[in-house]
Amino acid sequence: MNKLKLNYTSLSFLPILVCIPLGYQLITNLHFGGFKLFQEFLISAFNPKIDNEIIITVINRLNETILIGFFSWLVSIIFGAIFGILSSNIFYKIFNIPNFFYIIIRFFLTIIRSIHEVVWGILLMQIYGINFSIGIIAICIPYVAVNSKVFAEQLETIDYKSFESINQINAPKFSFLLTLIWNPIINTFKNFGLYRLECSIRSTVILGLFGIGGIGTSIFLSFQTLNFRELWTYLWSLAILIIFSGLILKKINFNNTNKILSIFFIAVFFVTIFLSFSYFLYFVFNNNFGNFNSFISLFKSNLDLGLFDFLKLILETIILSLLSTGIAISLPPLVIGFFNNNTSKILIKIFAFLLRLIPTPVILLSLLTFNSPSLSLAALTLGLHNAGITSKLLFTNLDSQDKRNYIAMKSLGISKKTSWLLGLFSQQAKSYLAYCAYRSDIIIRETAIVGVIGSVGLGWQLQESLSSFAWQEVTIVLIAYSSIAIVVELINGKIKNSLT
Amino acid sequence: MNNTLLELKNISYKYENNLILNKVNLKINSGEKIALLGKSGSGKTTLISVLNGTIKPTQGEVKLFNKSFKELDRKQRRKITTIWQDLRLIEDLSAEQNVNCGLLAENNFNFAFKNLLNISSFEKAHKYMQLCRLHNSIYDKKIRKLSVGQKQRVAIARSLIQGSNILLADEPFNNLDPKLITTIKNLLLENVNKKNTKSPKTILVALHRLDLLNDFDKVIGIRDGKIFFNIKRTDLKKLHLDKIY
Repeated sequence: MNKLKLNYTSLSFLPILVCIPLGYQLITNLHFGGFKLFQEFLISAFNPKIDNEIIITVINRLNETILIGFFSWLVSIIFGAIFGILSSNIFYKIFNIPNFFYIIIRFFLTIIRSIHEVVWGILLMQIYGINFSIGIIAICIPYVAVNSKVFAEQLETIDYKSFESINQINAPKFSFLLTLIWNPIINTFKNFGLYRLECSIRSTVILGLFGIGGIGTSIFLSFQTLNFRELWTYLWSLAILIIFSGLILKKINFNNTNKILSIFFIAVFFVTIFLSFSYFLYFVFNNNFGNFNSFISLFKSNLDLGLFDFLKLILETIILSLLSTGIAISLPPLVIGFFNNNTSKILIKIFAFLLRLIPTPVILLSLLTFNSPSLSLAALTLGLHNAGITSKLLFTNLDSQDKRNYIAMKSLGISKKTSWLLGLFSQQAKSYLAYCAYRSDIIIRETAIVGVIGSVGLGWQLQESLSSFAWQEVTIVLIAYSSIAIVVELINGKIKNSLT
Repeated sequence: MNNTLLELKNISYKYENNLILNKVNLKINSGEKIALLGKSGSGKTTLISVLNGTIKPTQGEVKLFNKSFKELDRKQRRKITTIWQDLRLIEDLSAEQNVNCGLLAENNFNFAFKNLLNISSFEKAHKYMQLCRLHNSIYDKKIRKLSVGQKQRVAIARSLIQGSNILLADEPFNNLDPKLITTIKNLLLENVNKKNTKSPKTILVALHRLDLLNDFDKVIGIRDGKIFFNIKRTDLKKLHLDKIY
């Protein structure tokens, strides 16, 4: 019997094995009580509600979403770049600053990004009450840290030769730094930063589900009232917003900077920094601390969480992440490879877009219509949503790849599926796995959202503790969350380094 | 009068247990034009890297203007410029932006910013690029899109625009056709050029081609990290070359 060889290609498919235990539990939990409701949900996608009243609501809600999404994107990109520079080794090398500060900043940013924006949002809402600004701040905090990591990683790819070329000229240190980092920063902004606008809008929608405002709140309310036609009107308008914002940003040519455009970008850069600082100060000094009286309450609050229960929640969170990551890694290549024709490709792309578009809590709630709440259902939801994201990357890479090997294999009479696997996917498998390693960092954080709704893991416990103002429990859950996220980030860093 | 600009005293350099430079002593005086000869792997590039301060020797002392590298300020360090064998250009910047980088040391942050935004004056850069026979169609092309020969000349233009006193060049005539070699050689070795641009007075060039030695005053031969001869060009004999090749 032939032995299975472990290589990047087989490693991309193996994680699908998580579907065995997952499928078993899902089938066991299946019920048909709400199947009609689910059917109605699907049919409404093709028959959204359109009248004057809803159009006005959509416009108002989209305005709020655009405001929160755009400003949190702008601020997080600019500060992400600044912190990216401050957390890259090149900065310390040029200014001869001890590496100690580099480690401190990196550690600080790792902790900040280990907590999902929804958790930040819920926390801030508990402290400051429901407030429009909370949305922007809650997204900005982890996004700045996530963006800074990507910028720092790119800056660390600057080769020794470029460094030495400017070092030898003996330029002033700020000129040295600017000349060296300029292109990596601009390229990261173009390749990664523009895509973050879509993420920012999606995060705004998810925060909306928790009451921040914007179209997310409308989506949640219409789901709660089972008004699926209205729900789909909001979802389709959100789709249009995401597609349009992407197209507009693509149209702006960042390569051909003329004098006026350059001055405009610099002005936006400094005005954003200035306004962010002023607004941050205004926000801090003009808000009373709503429900949160003092830090003493942290120690006065009850701690009803037993050690065994707590460890069980941690284990649940880890299993939830592993199952979801398995689906997110293996499902896209499996589906794309199996249905390898042009019509299927279009359908898969549309389906993947919908999985990205529909917020995970909505996917989970709709699946709950015919399945009992369980860890598997939460994992399936998170896995499908992330599979929508990983498939987008896989499609982009496969579409831009040289297809000569694939064509040559097909011309030899090899089947279409095998040619696709060996002639196309095998060349992408390594970089695809490297991206999936980065994605699993995010999945860990996202367990908080599905946890809240699916009654699993630390996310659920966090919601419970916050509702009962058990601040000590909240602190412990957050520390546990951060620790898991940090450990996973370290492991993934090692995996990614070995893959790239 | 002591006109020694650069001095190596008993320099040794070890890399992964291999002795790359072995007790090298060398003085470079003002105005000298020196050719450095030796086989590939003989230690020429390492010697240049020690001379410009990129590599710290394992043993010995390097002095520039009678001061050790640590004691030199930025202005004094600027008096040395290097043309590297691997060119060390910034691939994502255009040819003119790379040449302008040579002016970073004498300008402020604003200049660096304008250079990157492509809104600075490239007049001086263009002058040096023309001297290096670079056609104006490639001025705004990214380095990664240029041929090796064009990249070589961009590196030379960037080095010359710095207006340094001492030029260290590691095989600067690589990748150039015979006509261009003559042009570039004249450019490097003549002190004042046609367009009122200055070339460095003191030059050390690592070479492989013996037919280019004519314009140099001195010749240094290096083998296995040791200097075998340091003589006037007119004294060079076949016997010397046999020792190093």
